[in-house]
Amino acid sequence: MTSVIKLERSATTLPPHAWQLLPMRFHRLDANSVVLTNLVGEHVFVTPDELVSVADGTCADQELLARLRAAHVVQVPGETLPTELLAMKLRTRLRRLPDSTGLHLFVVTLRCEHTCRYCQVSRQSAAKSEFDMTEETAGRALQLAFRSPSPYLKIEFQGGEPLLNFPLVRWITTEAKRMNAGHGKDLAFVIATNLALLDDEILEFCAEQGIHISTSLDGPQDLHNGNRRRPGQDSWRQAVAGIRRVQQRLGPDRVSALMTTTEASLDRAAEIIGAYADLGLQAVFLRPISPYGFAIRDRGGANYDVERWLAFYAAGLDQIVELNRQGIPMVEIYASIIAKKMLTNADPGYVDLTSPSGIGIGALVYNYDGDIYASDEGRMLAEMGDHTFRLGNVHDSSYADVMLSDSLLDPLTESIALSAPMCTTCAFEPYCGADPVFHHATMGDFTGHKALSAFCRRNTGVFTLLLRKMRDDAYFRDLMWLWTR
Amino acid sequence: MVMLRLTGRAHASGPAWPLADDVWRVSLAEDGGSEPGSAGEGSAKHLARLVPPGRPAPPGYGLYLTTEARTGPLAELRTAARVKAGTPGPTLAIGPELAHLSAGDIIHVSTDARRVTVLWKNSARHNALLLTEQCDNYCLMCSQPPKERDDSWLFDRARKVISLLPEGARSLSLTGGEPTLNAEALIGLLEHCKHVAPELSIHLLSNGRRFADQSFARRYAAVGLADIMVGIPVYAPELGLHDFIVQAAGAFEETIHGVLNLASLGQAVEIRIVVQRHTVPALAGLATFIARNLPFVAQVALMGLEMTGLARPNSALVWADPADYQRELAEAVGILVTAGIPARIYNHQLCVLDQRLWPYAVRSISDWKNDYLDICRSCSVRDACGGVFTTSGMRLSQHLHPLP
Repeated sequence: MTSVIKLERSATTLPPHAWQLLPMRFHRLDANSVVLTNLVGEHVFVTPDELVSVADGTCADQELLARLRAAHVVQVPGETLPTELLAMKLRTRLRRLPDSTGLHLFVVTLRCEHTCRYCQVSRQSAAKSEFDMTEETAGRALQLAFRSPSPYLKIEFQGGEPLLNFPLVRWITTEAKRMNAGHGKDLAFVIATNLALLDDEILEFCAEQGIHISTSLDGPQDLHNGNRRRPGQDSWRQAVAGIRRVQQRLGPDRVSALMTTTEASLDRAAEIIGAYADLGLQAVFLRPISPYGFAIRDRGGANYDVERWLAFYAAGLDQIVELNRQGIPMVEIYASIIAKKMLTNADPGYVDLTSPSGIGIGALVYNYDGDIYASDEGRMLAEMGDHTFRLGNVHDSSYADVMLSDSLLDPLTESIALSAPMCTTCAFEPYCGADPVFHHATMGDFTGHKALSAFCRRNTGVFTLLLRKMRDDAYFRDLMWLWTR
Repeated sequence: MVMLRLTGRAHASGPAWPLADDVWRVSLAEDGGSEPGSAGEGSAKHLARLVPPGRPAPPGYGLYLTTEARTGPLAELRTAARVKAGTPGPTLAIGPELAHLSAGDIIHVSTDARRVTVLWKNSARHNALLLTEQCDNYCLMCSQPPKERDDSWLFDRARKVISLLPEGARSLSLTGGEPTLNAEALIGLLEHCKHVAPELSIHLLSNGRRFADQSFARRYAAVGLADIMVGIPVYAPELGLHDFIVQAAGAFEETIHGVLNLASLGQAVEIRIVVQRHTVPALAGLATFIARNLPFVAQVALMGLEMTGLARPNSALVWADPADYQRELAEAVGILVTAGIPARIYNHQLCVLDQRLWPYAVRSISDWKNDYLDICRSCSVRDACGGVFTTSGMRLSQHLHPLP
C-alpha cells in the first residue's frame, strides 16, 4: 500500500534565517560544548560552531532547530505560543513573591555551651540570662510574623543553643498555635540545636508538637570535634547519640543535619558523607564556609579558596552519586535546590540562592533583644558592629516599618540578578541568586563586582559542574530529576 | 477472554413495523428497575425485552428480542422469528453472535431491521460513543480515518444512548473524528449528560484545537460537568514534528492554546501520545516539554499503535516495534513521574514492556478489540496483560513471547 500524506515533512522544515532568537544566553562548558539557556533556565547543549550558526541565522540542522524551538530559544516570526509559554513559566517562577516571608527565625538565646571555631555569633557563657529572649519580645515577634501574607509559616528556633532557653521554645510553640487558630496558616517548627542538651522532656514535646530537629554534623569524630569545641570534647558523641534518639522517638524524617566546611574538611569529602550515611541520614548539604562572624575575624579554617572548595564539592557529589548507585539514597541539598531551578519552573526560594534576594521577604530574624534582621548573616554582621541589615526592633517597629524600610528595599532592589552588571548576560542567571549581604560584607556594596566575587565564582563552578554531569551521565540526569521532588 | 462482536444480523417479524425508534435498551424480567411504566425517557417504548427461548413474552414493551442458542444461516433466523410471531409487539430475531446481549445493554437497530449494533455493553469496562467521523487533523497513524460526509445523526444517536443509560452506568468515552467540530451539537450533548446522568465520568477525545477559541472553551467549561476530562494528543514538543504527524499546518499552536485555555478554566486535561516511528526519538523532549510547560495536566497516556485505518497504508512511516523503543519510553515515563505527572502506558503487551514500566501499564484495549495469541496461552502474566488489538491484523511486535 502507498502512504497517505497530505503535508510533507519538508513543509515544516526551517530554512536558514527563517527564525528569530528569543532571550538567550550561553556559557562555555568545555572546549567543544556550550550550554544555551532561555529566560527561565531551560537549557540546550550545543557545540561552539552550532552556537555561531544559530546566532548568525545560518543553521540548517533541523534536529537542533527543533530542540531550540521546544526549549523556547528560537521562534518563527508570527508565532505567539513560545512567548506566551515563557511568560507563563516566568510567572510561575515568581509566584512565591507575593506570599512574602515564610521563614521566621527566633534567636531565643545567644548563650551556648559550645565554642565552635567558625561560630558566627558571640559566644556567651551559659549562665548569663541577659542574652535570653523574653516572652514579651517573643510575643511581639510572633505578631509581626503573623502579619506575613504567606500561607506557610516556618518558625525556626536559633541560638546560641536554643535548648538553653527551652521554656521559651515551648511558650512560642504553644502561643503560635493558639494565634494560628484565627489564621489557618500551614505552621511548621524547627529547632536548630547541637543536641548536647537533648532530654526526654524535650523529645516528648517535639513529638507532641510535630517539631523538626536540625543539627550540626561536620563529619567524622576528629573533624567534628576539632571544629566544634566543647568542654569534654564530646560534641560528636553527643550529636550522634542525639540524632539516633530523635530518629527513634520522632522518626527518621524528622531530623536533618548540616555540615560546615572548614579547611580541614576539604580533603575528606568521602569520610564526611560516609558519616552521614552511617547514621541513616539521607541528605547532606555540602556548604561553603560563610564569611561572617568569627569565621571571618578569626580566619580559623576560613582561608581556603573557591577552587579548593569546588574540588571538595565535586568529590563529595561523586561520592553521593556512587552511594545512590549502590542503592543507598542520599541527596546533596545544594544540587537539589539547583535541580529544581534547572529542570522545573519552581523557585524553591532558598534564601541564599534566589533573586530577588530572600532577605526580609524570604526570611526574617528576631534577635534575642528584639532587633529584627533581614537575614541570619545580617545578624552576624551586626555582632561584628555592622548594623546595615537591622530593620528595626519588635518593640517599636510596625510591620510596615520593617518591610518598607530602606534598609530592606535598597539591598533588595540593588541586587536583583536580572539587572545586575554581568548577571544580566550570564547563562546561569535563572539558576543563581542575589546575595546583597555577602557582597556588602566582602565588597562594601549590595550589587558586588561579579568578576571578583567569590559568590559568583563558587556558583558558576557548581552550575558548570552540574550541567556537565547532566550532559554526560544519564544516571546523574535521572538523579537530578529525582531530586526535584 | 472471548472477543465480543458488536454488530450482528437480525430479522424482523410481528406487528407495528417500522419501529418507533432506532435506539433501545435491553431488558430482562429480572431487570426490575426498567420494567415498562418506569418514568422518564427510558420507559416502555424504548425498552427491548429479551425473550429467552421457550419463555413467555409479557406485554408492554416496544420491542421483543428473540435468540436461538444454536448457530445457523439467516433462514433459521426467519424460522425463529416465525416461531415467536406470537410476541405482543414488534419482534427481532438476533443472530448467535449477539447472544451476549444482556440487561442494560443499549442497541441500535438499522432502518431495514437487518442489522443490530451494540452501542453500550453494560458489563464492559470501557464504552465509547462515536460522535462524528469528521476531523480537521489527518494523523499519519489514525485508526479511524476521517470522512467528510454529514454524520450529525451520530450526535442524535448518542443523545438517545445517554438518555437510556442504565442506573449505575459509571463511565463513558466520547470519541470521533473530532467531536468539537460541531460545537452546538457537542455542547448540547454535554448539557444533556449533565441533565440525565450528572454522576457519569466522561472522557472526551479531542485534538484540542477548537479549545483555542476562548469562547468555545468557556462554553465547554460552563456546562459544569462534575467529572469530565479531555484527552488531547500532543505528539512533539514543537510544531514542526507535531504538525507533520497530524498532517495539519497550525495544529500545534491551536492544540497547545486549547490545553492552556482548558487549564485556565480549571478543566481536566489528559495528554495522549501515540508512540510511533516519529514520536520515539522525541519522547524525552516531549516529556520535558510537558513537565515544563503543561505541568498541570491530569495525566499523560502513552499509547501503543493500533495498526488499522491510516496506520496501514502509512505503515512504513509510522510502525515502530515496542521492543525497540523501551529505552526512550522509560526515559519519558521517568521524566513525567519525577515531575509529579501521572504517566500511564496503554496498548503495550507486558512481554515487550520494560519490567520497570509495568506499574504504569494499564490493561486498556477495549474488550471488543482485545485478543491473545496462541503463544500467550502459557504466559504467566496473561491476565494482567492487555493482549493485542484484533484490529491490528498481523502487524504486531516481532518480540511477543510468553513469560515464565
